[in-house]
Amino acid sequence: MWAYIVRRVVATIPVMAIVALFVFSLLYLAPGDPAAVIAGDQATPEDVERIRASLGLDRPFLVRFGEWAFRIVQGDLGVSIFTNLPVVTMIKQRVEPTLSLMVVTLCLALSIAIPMGVIAAWKQGTTIDRIVMGVAVLGFSVPVFVVGYLLAYTFALELDWLPVQGYTPLSEGIPYWLENLILPAVALGGVYIALIARITRASMLEVLSQDYVRTARAKGAGQTSILFVHALKNAAVPIVTVVGIGFAGLIGGAVVTESVFAIPGLGRLTVDAILRRDYPVIQGVVLLFSFVYVIVNLAIDILYTVFDPRIRY
Amino acid sequence: MNRRDVLALGAASAFSAPALAQNAAARTLRFVPQANLANFDPIWGTQYVVRNASVNVWDTLYGVDSDLMPQRQMAEGEEVSSDGLTWTFKLRSGLKFHDNEPVLAKDCVQSLKRWMARDTMGLMIRDLLVDISAVDDRTFKIVLRSPYPKMLYALGKNNSPMAFIMPERIARTDPFQQISEYIGSGPFRFVRNEWVPGAKAVFQKFDGYVPRDEPANWLAGGKRVLIDRLEWTVMPDPATAAAALQSGEVDWWENPLSDLIPVLRRNRNIRTDIADPLGNIGTMRLNHLHPPFNDVRARRALLMAMSQEDYMRAVVGSDDNLWKALPGFFTPGTSLYTEEGGEVLKGPRDLEGAKRLLREAGYTNQPVVVLAAQDQPITKAFGDVTADLLKRLGMNVDFVATDWGTVGQRRAVKAPPAQGGWNIFFSWHAGADCTNPAAYQAIRATGDGAWFGWPNIPEAEAKVAEWYAAPNLDAEKAAIRGLNRASLEHVTYAPTGFFLGYTAWRSNISGIVKAPVPFAWGVSKS
Repeated sequence: MWAYIVRRVVATIPVMAIVALFVFSLLYLAPGDPAAVIAGDQATPEDVERIRASLGLDRPFLVRFGEWAFRIVQGDLGVSIFTNLPVVTMIKQRVEPTLSLMVVTLCLALSIAIPMGVIAAWKQGTTIDRIVMGVAVLGFSVPVFVVGYLLAYTFALELDWLPVQGYTPLSEGIPYWLENLILPAVALGGVYIALIARITRASMLEVLSQDYVRTARAKGAGQTSILFVHALKNAAVPIVTVVGIGFAGLIGGAVVTESVFAIPGLGRLTVDAILRRDYPVIQGVVLLFSFVYVIVNLAIDILYTVFDPRIRY
Repeated sequence: MNRRDVLALGAASAFSAPALAQNAAARTLRFVPQANLANFDPIWGTQYVVRNASVNVWDTLYGVDSDLMPQRQMAEGEEVSSDGLTWTFKLRSGLKFHDNEPVLAKDCVQSLKRWMARDTMGLMIRDLLVDISAVDDRTFKIVLRSPYPKMLYALGKNNSPMAFIMPERIARTDPFQQISEYIGSGPFRFVRNEWVPGAKAVFQKFDGYVPRDEPANWLAGGKRVLIDRLEWTVMPDPATAAAALQSGEVDWWENPLSDLIPVLRRNRNIRTDIADPLGNIGTMRLNHLHPPFNDVRARRALLMAMSQEDYMRAVVGSDDNLWKALPGFFTPGTSLYTEEGGEVLKGPRDLEGAKRLLREAGYTNQPVVVLAAQDQPITKAFGDVTADLLKRLGMNVDFVATDWGTVGQRRAVKAPPAQGGWNIFFSWHAGADCTNPAAYQAIRATGDGAWFGWPNIPEAEAKVAEWYAAPNLDAEKAAIRGLNRASLEHVTYAPTGFFLGYTAWRSNISGIVKAPVPFAWGVSKS
């Protein structure tokens, strides 16, 4: 197992290198000019040209890529063209809100979706099943920003239970931290809940028809024990897979959610950087997201062995 | 049970850190700016949002008042020699930077040198410059080759880049490189360690600031700070900003969308008013280098056919208080405003006449490349209206709907439209920049050196020179009348109208003034 983990971690290096080359090339080819954005609307063409030269954007592709790659290898993601701050500093400023949003969303999604899916499978064909699946379809269909606005209007403006926007660091207390995250997490978690609930239901239906479940029932095991101990563990592999795949969607959804709820996270940093063509920041954030995604998938692979001991690497 | 009750329960738990004291919150003004403060060098980055943040931190020698007249600010006085060639400035006593170092003449000299490299008026001064040097700690002089009557206006104008004074060591930074220290002598200190670009910027009252005795009047007079802390919270989504203002999470929103104003007005705790009486002038910029708009008849055809009302309603909706037709190029309500030569933009629109002119100009259905930045609602609206107008004129429209970063790059391309160039793009100019030609890049018509579109109209440039040399207001007005006429005859660009915007704040905030800049001094919170 440890050899496998080491192999997988080492394998991330070429993956990251390819991502780095891809991102750098894409940004080089994409239209847009940070110098024009920096100079402002009223700038003269000469001003724009001077700024472009001062940023080194007029140098050949290979020279720029070589310098950037050399710095990356040393752990230096460079300096933002716009803010003059190190990209690492900007990412550090934004990691906590995004991580908090992800964690709360994940906890919320798992704690709602898995019981939903289990119950739907247990009550297959009944009204409960239809309601659960109807909710899942709704979760898939309604865009994150629509859910966000509706939640903010209802729970922040009308009822005044929760704040409309912003983020409070965890260091200021869990209640303050959590109150800013509940609405965004619900908004972001909708699709995720739907996805996990549906796959849980499908997986559970397959498992519940297996002989060992019938045996457990014949031995007098209780319904809760059958569902959550015997069946769920054996249905877990596809669920865990979907959780991993859905993580990418969560990153994408965070971009919208952070904008709607004005959370100063990595999603907003990415959008701002793209609109301004802040190349070092875009490259840094995309590399980070790629790395996280690779690691999450590694964790999922390892979890398979926990839920299904027959799986060996 | 509401949020405060829920929080009170939570706050009582062992996990909670102490909340902010109530009076501290009352001394913090929470402000939603028009855009993200992505950089903070007012000379390097000339965006309005940078200028608006910078007036808190850096001070100027002079500052314009609401009549756009320069008044002394850091300067105690000035002397100009009888031949108009030597200006001697003396600083007020007691001026301090935020690092508690005194403001000295050498700081002013170096700051002005950096500013001169980037500003239109500064460049003119630099071209005339013989010497700029410190005489003593509080006195410096500027020696010119020929008189420059607009000196005080240049030093006190509110157009970006403003002539901000920085410590000498910071002002030594190349004007095309960003500064890395944000130390000024203005009424607020910039709290750098709380700056999260794209999300938050914090300004703390500077206790060492000594305001002038006169009442505050825009950039002139005493900048008395009545709050302890100014927090800028960037909100990319207007609906979120509206909700935050309604719920009292923020105190002041600089530029609410006009569509959201009715919603805000229904809340009895919110006040709204016109933000900047000088408003904005919409711009349809035409490329003078390539067909069809290298022919003045094609440019005139657009003026004959375009309806400014269509453009303005696309931007401000049905609120008639927010726009007016603009048969000219200068800001309505200011001393040099004129409609001289503006008949072409008045009265019923003449589509048939415009089509005839286009034919005479030799237009033969070649694609007209229209660039529209979709991430800017104003330019997106201008683009949609124009695409429709061109189609009605029988033109072949290649509508390139993209983002501002791409438009910013492509508009600088002088190649023909088919080779990556363009025919039309859109912008808008703050009315404060369009009161005279000094900061009005778009009105200049110097050919290759002009703003994008590169109009070359010697007749207009002659009038600009007349304005610079004008000895009095009457002479200035005469020059501007001539400039307006020449610019319309040759269609330097097509003005799409004059429009205003609202600002909105909570009713417990007082002291907000109508101005091109959201001044935080004089604003209090109860």
